[in-house]
Amino acid sequence: MAVNESLLELRKLTERFHPLQGAEWESFAAIWSTFSARRKEQLTRAGEPERYIYFVLDGIQRVYFTDGEKEATLVFTYAHSFGGVLDSLLMEQPSRYYYETLSPSQFLRARQADLLDLMNRHRSLETLVRKGVTWSMSGIMERLVELECFSAEERFRTLLKRSPHILQLIPHKYLANYLGMDATNFSKLLNQVKI
Amino acid sequence: MASTPTTQLLSDLEDRVERDLQTAIRIFQNLSPEALNRPSATGGWSIAQCLWHLNSYGDYYLPRIEAQVKKGGTASTRFSSGWLGSYFTKMMKPGQGMRKMKAFKDHTPPQELDAPAVVAEFIRQQEWLLTLLGQSYHIDLSRIRIPISISRWVRLKLGDVFQFYTMHVHRHMVQALRNVPAT
Repeated sequence: MAVNESLLELRKLTERFHPLQGAEWESFAAIWSTFSARRKEQLTRAGEPERYIYFVLDGIQRVYFTDGEKEATLVFTYAHSFGGVLDSLLMEQPSRYYYETLSPSQFLRARQADLLDLMNRHRSLETLVRKGVTWSMSGIMERLVELECFSAEERFRTLLKRSPHILQLIPHKYLANYLGMDATNFSKLLNQVKI
Repeated sequence: MASTPTTQLLSDLEDRVERDLQTAIRIFQNLSPEALNRPSATGGWSIAQCLWHLNSYGDYYLPRIEAQVKKGGTASTRFSSGWLGSYFTKMMKPGQGMRKMKAFKDHTPPQELDAPAVVAEFIRQQEWLLTLLGQSYHIDLSRIRIPISISRWVRLKLGDVFQFYTMHVHRHMVQALRNVPAT
């Protein structure tokens, strides 16, 4: 996808949060460049700073935690959503999590320094980011409720609604991990739900 | 033997592994255990048996490849296959009138298989292989040698091992795909 087409998608998303006018949009658009990665590339590692904000154009990725024994998938990112480890990016601290591709992926990405600089210089960009982060936080609160109140099957159906083809796009083990299930139980669930 | 730029070789191999991995993700992991365990129309291996066979070779080769890749070294800009490596790779190519080769004892799949587990393990191994290929841009694919499974005295260049190994996977993927139930 050409940069112009991709920027159109980015603009569509930012319009929903906080429309940017003329020169401000131009300054914002200027910090993004195209980037692609193969499957299973570690874009960000725990202990390293998050150096980029990503806008996903294609493919599926995940933010996950691991200590070598346990593993937890925090979120999947897909086309036309933002990606990367957001708290590390904005707090300018080493990331506690990993960000990896789960399929071949295409992105626009902007450097942390460029984004922070724009935010300092333009009030509207600071607002855009504030609204984006708030929306992201709201999503996390929703997920906490899901985890407490809903069964794995219900949470699986919610995930399928959001991304109907995900079973054909990534290995099932990542879905099982996101739902907090082991592989065997996930296979059983799959056989129930699929019909 | 004609030489290829290593970046080109590795990139092509990554593409090949990616294609076979996608077949497993899109199709195999979404088939029922029954469909996965069904013998082929001609009485040959089921999908699960094909993948089990491939996993048995992965068990041998992948840890050995990783041990070498971890050691690092200096990159080689070009790669030439050795004659034995080329021969193995050519033997593995799927195609018209594939010679029916008999699998070695350790690599002959059992009749009873936990098919979903075999598919999951296949996917895990191919992801691992993809990662190893990605890490091999900075090492010497000719200097590093791996003993082959049928004879530890025969050590092939890593570049050749990557080639015949991925071709072997592809050969059995083609075979397994013939078992996929028509919808």
